Amino acid sequence: MNIAAFLTIFISAVFINNVILSRFLGLCSFIAISKQTRPALAMSLAVMFVTTMSSIITWFIYRFLLIPFNMTYLRTISFILVIATFVQFVEMVIRKIAPPMYRFFGIYLPLITVNCAVLGVAVLNSDMFFIKNKAVAGSFIYSAFQGVCVGLGYTLAMLLMSAIRERLELCDVPKPVKDFPLGFIIASIMSLGFMGFNGFRF
Amino acid sequence: MSEPFFNKNSLLVSTSPHIHTDESVRKIMWMVIASLIPAGIAGIAVFGKAALWTIMIGVASAVITEWALQLLTKRKVCISDGSALLTGLLLSFNLPANVPFWIPIVGSFFAVAIGKHVFGGLGQNIFNPALVGRVFLLASWPKYLTAFTRPLEFDAVTTATPLALLKEGKMIDAISYLDLFLGKRGGCIGEVCIAALLLGALFLLWRGYISLHIPLSFVATVGVFTYIFAGKQGLFGGDWLFHILSGGLILGAFFMATDYVTSPLTRKGHIIFGVCCGLLTAVIRLWGGYPEGVSYAILMMNSATPLIDRYTKTRIYGSKGKN
Amino acid sequence: MIKEFLKGIVKENPTFVLALGLCPTLAVSISVINGIGMGIAATFVLIGSNIIIALIKNSIPERVRIPCYIVVIATFVTITELTMKAYSPALDRALGIYVPLIVVNCIVLGRAEAFASKNSVMKSLLDGIGMGVGFTLALILISVIREFFGAGRILGLNIVKGFEPAFVLGMPSGALLVIGLLLGFFNLLKERKK
Repeated sequence: MNIAAFLTIFISAVFINNVILSRFLGLCSFIAISKQTRPALAMSLAVMFVTTMSSIITWFIYRFLLIPFNMTYLRTISFILVIATFVQFVEMVIRKIAPPMYRFFGIYLPLITVNCAVLGVAVLNSDMFFIKNKAVAGSFIYSAFQGVCVGLGYTLAMLLMSAIRERLELCDVPKPVKDFPLGFIIASIMSLGFMGFNGFRF
Repeated sequence: MSEPFFNKNSLLVSTSPHIHTDESVRKIMWMVIASLIPAGIAGIAVFGKAALWTIMIGVASAVITEWALQLLTKRKVCISDGSALLTGLLLSFNLPANVPFWIPIVGSFFAVAIGKHVFGGLGQNIFNPALVGRVFLLASWPKYLTAFTRPLEFDAVTTATPLALLKEGKMIDAISYLDLFLGKRGGCIGEVCIAALLLGALFLLWRGYISLHIPLSFVATVGVFTYIFAGKQGLFGGDWLFHILSGGLILGAFFMATDYVTSPLTRKGHIIFGVCCGLLTAVIRLWGGYPEGVSYAILMMNSATPLIDRYTKTRIYGSKGKN
Repeated sequence: MIKEFLKGIVKENPTFVLALGLCPTLAVSISVINGIGMGIAATFVLIGSNIIIALIKNSIPERVRIPCYIVVIATFVTITELTMKAYSPALDRALGIYVPLIVVNCIVLGRAEAFASKNSVMKSLLDGIGMGVGFTLALILISVIREFFGAGRILGLNIVKGFEPAFVLGMPSGALLVIGLLLGFFNLLKERKK
């Protein structure tokens, strides 16, 4: 386990292969929730929590259940069920401690279940840190760490977008493009910018 | 009533977009345009008539697009404020001289329409419009945007830019620092002649239209980073002067990263902005897939400007305190 | 009643209005064939899962409702996947991983949670059809633009009419741009109508 590996995972997950701006996963909530910074931050923390915990749990399931019993083809289904259960749990917690936020999120909170970013990082972990169905050295800690970093990358994109949209609220934007259309166009230009990270090789 | 547009370090009681007089906006735009004339002349001298055509088409397309859009949307027509002209000029400066005529037309149209007016017009765009246009063109028609001709040979013989050669690991002994400084190399129209660019930049600095914070931190970061990491053996010993003089760094650092609307408000914000632009540029140049990273770096940092402002701006008078 | 069906097409179009199901939209709308194929597959899953969930909504404990929905949805996705592999393997190959990924298509779970769990079977059926049709139409519209201007083709046929296709439209950035501009255009029409 070396520092370089952790650094690579961090830089890759947060900047070079940013889950939203480079891999284009998790867009539904990105366009819909990023209008203001506080809810965007809250959603990001929820997503980061889910990605981290589901990275951990799915690692165990993959390592001790799917591989020994030769059921790796059940990866997608089992991962998504784990994630679904977890999101349900998070939802109950938020409903208890911050009901207004719960109501604000509406449909987009249970939709973290099908947030491609969450399933994406679980699948990515099992692809990257298991070679020929054997766990590489440090596989567990790398998987968990990558879960955290993908969450951080998601948070970065959300923060950028929500700051932009908050500022545009003060501006006199043409009415037809207000809110969603402009959100899509901003995402389009942001992803053009992040294309600068294509083809990275250390 | 309204602050002079360029007097940003005096007491600010509002966030951008500021209320400003038309007079001062117009003046700054035309001053910046004037400061770019030396670089334009140099580009035409190095690359010939094709460069002149490209510039003229780019500028015309930008101005016509803005005029038409403002007519169609029944907003005030203010093409004489020079900002569309500046966008067209900067976009053309970022193109190779021999591009097909429709490239600057489409690029300027996209830059002005999508990069600027979709956001509501002057003062409200998040991204530098010229760069939006250039990166759009680069992604759409890469083969035209990366076909450069030999300097001072006006018969369209293709060549690679110094940075492209570096990326492929080829030797670049034939190009001296003086060549880079004067513009005797392949590249985009407005980026090659460092001497002309610096002339214009000095003018803007002297008159106070731009401040040194962004360009200096941008260029210095690239220099330091490439010195440390671009060495041929291990750390240190990198050819930092080559990196500073190559590609679009000087053009970008002095004329595009300094755009008021798309860069932060405070001095601290400027430095953060410049340093991060420099880091991103250097990292892309050294390890990324593209030979040059200035356009991408600035666009990425444009998207971060509202966030930087949010956390570095001075307390708004009368507000309730940090959110 | 008809309203439940129509709302999915315009007023609450899943792609343009609700911003759901974007991940597959970005990837699949590169060509019109893929767009149509995905639209049909997703519609089938939507109808099936909406009906079943509306039927059993009262017997699912609220605390575990989401995992239950997932099981139902996954079942229909598997049916769709196997049917496609059997009867149109070419399409299955074209859509690739995005067929099993209908499981995580926000639209399906979104409608299950927002509608089918709270409404009658009949209404949920209409909602499913409407949303599916709306999604398919959106996919067709976006992919026509992207395939024509981005690759000079429609339905795989080369119609390059003397213009150079803009490659950016084949990338996610181009997709987002097309969706944003289309949506702005629709809003403009809506404004004019008033």
